Amino acid sequence: MTPGMILAMAWRNLWRQRRRTLLTLASIAFGGFMAVLMTAMQDRSFADFIDTAAKLGAGHVTLQHPEYQDRPTLTNTVTGTDVLRSAAEGDERVVRVVDRASGQTMVTTASDSFGAFFVAYDPALETAETFEYTDGLIEGELFTGADSDGIILGRILARNLGAELGDKVVYTMTDRTGEIVTSMERVRGIVSSGAPSVDAALVLLPIGTLRSVVGYDRAETTQVAVFLDDGRKSQAAAERLRGQVPSEVAVLTWDEIQPEIRAFVAMKIGGGRVFEIIIGVLVAAGIFNTMFMSVMERTREFGIMMAIGYTPRQLFALVMAESSLLAAMGLTASIAITAWPYYALSSKGLDMSEVYAQAGQVEISGVGFDSTLHIGIFPENAIAIGVAIVVATIAAGIWPAFKAGRVDPVASINLV
Amino acid sequence: MATPIVQLQNVTKVFTSGDVETQALRGLDLTVEPGEFVAIWGPSGSGKTTALNLIGALDTPTSGSVKLEGEPLEDKSRKALSQLRRDRIGFVFQAYNLIPVLTAYENAESVMALQGVPLAERKAKVMALLKAVGLEGMEDRRPNQLSGGQQQRVAIARAIASGPAVVLADEPTANVDSATAETLLGIMRTLNEEQGVTFIFSTHDPRVMKYARRLVGVVDGKVASDERKESGA
Repeated sequence: MTPGMILAMAWRNLWRQRRRTLLTLASIAFGGFMAVLMTAMQDRSFADFIDTAAKLGAGHVTLQHPEYQDRPTLTNTVTGTDVLRSAAEGDERVVRVVDRASGQTMVTTASDSFGAFFVAYDPALETAETFEYTDGLIEGELFTGADSDGIILGRILARNLGAELGDKVVYTMTDRTGEIVTSMERVRGIVSSGAPSVDAALVLLPIGTLRSVVGYDRAETTQVAVFLDDGRKSQAAAERLRGQVPSEVAVLTWDEIQPEIRAFVAMKIGGGRVFEIIIGVLVAAGIFNTMFMSVMERTREFGIMMAIGYTPRQLFALVMAESSLLAAMGLTASIAITAWPYYALSSKGLDMSEVYAQAGQVEISGVGFDSTLHIGIFPENAIAIGVAIVVATIAAGIWPAFKAGRVDPVASINLV
Repeated sequence: MATPIVQLQNVTKVFTSGDVETQALRGLDLTVEPGEFVAIWGPSGSGKTTALNLIGALDTPTSGSVKLEGEPLEDKSRKALSQLRRDRIGFVFQAYNLIPVLTAYENAESVMALQGVPLAERKAKVMALLKAVGLEGMEDRRPNQLSGGQQQRVAIARAIASGPAVVLADEPTANVDSATAETLLGIMRTLNEEQGVTFIFSTHDPRVMKYARRLVGVVDGKVASDERKESGA
């Protein structure tokens, strides 16, 4: 009995109950569709979320003073940032390395004062790929160089301060020695991050100007932000960097810098996994039911086959071939029904602005969500779903296949 | 003297269902020589089908010995029994029992395929057998496209194709009309006479008994009569 003959028999057996086979295929395909879409939504949103968190914060990997994490003051700095950047840029996963400085400040206008946090950056080095706020300019203009004039305010902060473009704003902070310093700039632009809590407290400054104000040298800052081609590689990239930078420089990943985001992502991933497992179990139960019914209906037939010389192993192989074919067809059907929706949602996305508008503030730890829903599955997760479909389908056939091989010819043929 | 094809010695078989025991065979003795055309007959419940199951290595006796071509069956593994049924025993069942997804040709070929007979040899033999049983031109039909008599012809071809030592036919004419029954019995007699295939029938059909050259009467699980005829119909 050749494998080809077993496959041919298996194929024909599947189509003896055409409707049942089609329904089973539909359930596998739908299960695959749901799993891919759910996972793709999750993967893309987390990838975007992590990238956004990195852009708002200090990169996927951050080089900073060891005490800065617990005490983020302007006195805890790293120096020789040009050397640190060179060390980071030697990794092929790294797409950009920039100096950032951030801290607390008090901003004052003629009408009001508010506490705020500032981010100082080098406009010549930062792009929309690394700096979230450059995309959110709603009035005025961005800085053109590290020593540009002006100050950029978050949308809500500007409103609270009563500040408009060109208005004077005084900002106060501590310098590298802990002394209070003050500077005055005119409002150059107003930005919106999409996260109201951020927009209510955000101040942007050019890093050269900041260095002058707080007394840093040209290669000194609070953080060096390292951006990667994939945020999931941050652990490996950080590991490599730890061996290359001086011990007085701490190397932290984005989730170590922002543990609340890590917790959120972990919670969502866990929830997603549970959902995927539920889908998987339901699909597998459907397949098991199909295969088991198929075997039970053919008990007499299997008895005959045993009587004329088929071995239990051959009957086991026959039923396993049926479930394997079902798996292959289910996977194909899954891909067929998922391809177009996946393409549409990954390339064009789905406008969720009305939903978000109704939900009000949509942000996690200051990281806002894009109002257009895009999806994008990580390759390893796509493979895992495909493998899970095939494995679940084949696994669901094991017990029925075993039962087929254990049929008692006498009882099943009912000769007695 | 040639080794008997089948030897049953003092065979008993007890079926147990819950607390109820049914003694189907009570010390059955039967020897069948190569080339015989034997009908085991008797009333319902007499034990004839049970005897056929034991000869066909489908079941095991409660006591006594069953030998096929001199080989005792009781010590063989499941796998060895499968191979024995595949290589040395042909079955023709009352309800035809063809594999529904296979064509007439494939059904007849299936046991040879299990035996690993080369394709060309299989094809030549199966085509000749289908012609011999009158199914030329119907090779590609599935069982549901054949009449009962035609299906039973395929079953006979399947039983013969593997070159068995013995063909066991359980009530092979029970589900067909008289004319078809005569035709089927004629085919089997021809195969018996021309190819020397041994046939053992379980039946209470007088038409089968008419064709048989030996009639073994079984009553209450024992051989009650054993009559040899000069020639069947």
